[in-house]
Amino acid sequence: MDVLVRNHVRVSGRSGGPVVVLAHGFGCDQNMWRLVVPMLEREFTVVLFDHVGAGKSDLSAWSRGQYSTLEKYADDVLAVCRELVLGPVTFVGHSVSAMMGVLASVQEPEAFAGLVLLAPSPCFIDDPLTGYRGGFSAADVEELLESLDANYLGWSGAMAPLIMGNPERPELGKELTNSFCRTDPDIARVFARVTFLSDNRADLAAVTVPTLVAQCSSDAIAPPEVGTFVHTQIPGSRLVTLNAIGHCPQLAAPEETAAAITAFARDAG
Amino acid sequence: MMPRTGDEEQGGPTGERAQFSALLEDSAEDLYEHAPCGYLSTLLDGRIAKINTTLLDWLGYRRDDLVGSWHFSDLLTVGGRLYHETHFMPLLRMQGEISGIALELKAADGSRLPVLVTSTVKTGGDGQPLLIRTTLFDARDRRAYETELLRARQEADRERERLQTLATTLQRTLLPPTLVNVPGLDVSVHYHIASVDEVGGDFYDLFPLTEGTWGMFLGDVCGKGAAAAAVTSLARYTLRAAAVYDPDPAAVLANLNTVLHHEYNGTEPRFCTVVFGLLTPDGDQGGFRVTLASGGHPPALLMRADGTADYLPTPGGQLIGVLPDAHIATTSLRLDPGDTLLLHTDGLTEAHTAITGDKDRYGDDALLGFARVLAPTTATHTVTAIRDLLNTFGTGVDDDTAVLAINVPRPPSEEQQ
Amino acid sequence: MTEPLTLHTRTTPAGTVIELTGDLDHHTTPQVRSALPSLDLRPGQQLVIDLGGITFCDSTGISTLIAARNHALSANATIALAAVPDRMSHIIRVVGLDQVFPTHLTAEDAEAAWHPTPG
Repeated sequence: MDVLVRNHVRVSGRSGGPVVVLAHGFGCDQNMWRLVVPMLEREFTVVLFDHVGAGKSDLSAWSRGQYSTLEKYADDVLAVCRELVLGPVTFVGHSVSAMMGVLASVQEPEAFAGLVLLAPSPCFIDDPLTGYRGGFSAADVEELLESLDANYLGWSGAMAPLIMGNPERPELGKELTNSFCRTDPDIARVFARVTFLSDNRADLAAVTVPTLVAQCSSDAIAPPEVGTFVHTQIPGSRLVTLNAIGHCPQLAAPEETAAAITAFARDAG
Repeated sequence: MMPRTGDEEQGGPTGERAQFSALLEDSAEDLYEHAPCGYLSTLLDGRIAKINTTLLDWLGYRRDDLVGSWHFSDLLTVGGRLYHETHFMPLLRMQGEISGIALELKAADGSRLPVLVTSTVKTGGDGQPLLIRTTLFDARDRRAYETELLRARQEADRERERLQTLATTLQRTLLPPTLVNVPGLDVSVHYHIASVDEVGGDFYDLFPLTEGTWGMFLGDVCGKGAAAAAVTSLARYTLRAAAVYDPDPAAVLANLNTVLHHEYNGTEPRFCTVVFGLLTPDGDQGGFRVTLASGGHPPALLMRADGTADYLPTPGGQLIGVLPDAHIATTSLRLDPGDTLLLHTDGLTEAHTAITGDKDRYGDDALLGFARVLAPTTATHTVTAIRDLLNTFGTGVDDDTAVLAINVPRPPSEEQQ
Repeated sequence: MTEPLTLHTRTTPAGTVIELTGDLDHHTTPQVRSALPSLDLRPGQQLVIDLGGITFCDSTGISTLIAARNHALSANATIALAAVPDRMSHIIRVVGLDQVFPTHLTAEDAEAAWHPTPG
């Protein structure tokens, strides 16, 4: 199977420059990066891809059985890197993808020059035993998964308005508004389960590649203390807190996000 | 009816005036607080700065509980919060507004309130975003309606599946489960179903007649659905019976014509086109004598052992079932070792090709060219190649397609050359 | 995918002319079928179907022509086709109806070719 087709891989930017791989998070696709890509392209070879099941990936490659662990997604990341033969890369993982980068780098450290963990969360659920605060109670996550399971108008219905065009903002482009973060509801359900039930806290200590943890100053999904936790668990990692608010700094504050990635990847690459 | 009094005549305009002045005194403040929808203003980080009484009443919170400390997303269920972060806020930032988003609010008592949310970003004179204004509409009725819609859709999905199963089963009963084995003949068939919702009208069969002769037919009933299936069924059994009665191919089709014409004469004419063939082994060298009769059906294709291929025209043959004395055209040939005869329905030649687009059909010439490339070939190979061809057309095949190929295999010694 | 069918009827001394434009397939044929009973055809007249504007015709289209023929014959009238597109004329030939439907280049030609049958 052609991995580059399967994951809808797009390579752009300065050829021969240090390589930055951008991995999108839950519920979206590589469009999530569109505001930071132009800023990174000046200096880096930029690799974009869609996780299998998202965006323009080959949906026929997705199966419930295979894609029920973050390890499978991490394997895909490694497969994309191997296929491109670009040498060690700086991997930028947003949200749940940050943990895919962690897992991939533990498995094959030599494939990575560095990791940027953007609004990462190793575990979304609070753990009263250890005092870990992931931001969601077990009941919250249960409710989320139930609402996704039970109601096929639910999320997909809520997303429908986004799929409609926006005539007042032609710069958004029809192509973009039509595809922005559109996800097959069945796949979204399974991915939600993988995302919200995974606990990768124990894997953080095994990371050996240079790591930047970039968290937002206010984030309802990965609260600042989660970023701090990730930073303290990964030996030698650096932590920056972006002024950006929300869970998607690459959209909310693209300049600031691109600057943080650039500064780190320049050193790492 | 109450008698009108002088008072009332005066009272009308006065009452109206009172109403208008009440309207004028209706303060913007009161309108905001008790509007029939929820209002909410937040800082850019989502912190609630202002909230109207309507929304507070819906949720059962006190103003002091929320203002200054709670974020809008704190009011959402966890799914809504996630959606808010990953979709709602990014789009609001990108577009300056977002409207008609279905979310659920958590009320103080733990109950859930479905709402439709619209937000706009208020900017200052310099275009800098200052705050976010949000209106929320009670969507309980809509949610109930959607739930009902969802239930109806699931039921419709189930019904559709049932119908498809029924159509597929019916289709299968109209085709022979397996074809008989004819010694000295390689036979292959394929039936391509264009729509799983409707029974198509193509049919074929190959069956033994007396004393080492075989009958075969392939045809196409006009139209689709149950009415067409009834004709298909009638045609199929009539052909089998007529062939026993008089195996001469022209006679078989003439009999079918009589039966269908009798049954379907009128304002809803039902007809079919069909090729009937009689196969007789011929000589010691292998090979068959084939007599074909055509009732208005696309001509058979002969792909010879020498690599040539041609249609076997049966000009003048008329469709079966609408004319009292339909003319049946016949042709005869010898099928030698290495020769392959192909019968097809026009679903194949009428298919929209992927390359030529909407209005262009595959056509007879393209099929002939295809056959010329294939020849010399075998029945199995021919049918496989046509299946592949149909697959490349994809949804361009808008009618059912049946193909039946027969081939006299070459002796093994020749095949090795 | 179907192009809508438009149907226009006019009356000439020779009989009725039906002009069809668009796709003649199983979506559109009921429209033609339902128009047939109201046609005013007198014995000896000729029903002309002008197919010049037909963009597609499938087997149900052919069966509609047969229904029109049955209708004309039951009124002791005759039928003719005019301006038959190449593709349709190919289909008509394959199903052997070229011997049943006289065809003319134009509706006017069909009219000119008409002779009132005596009686």
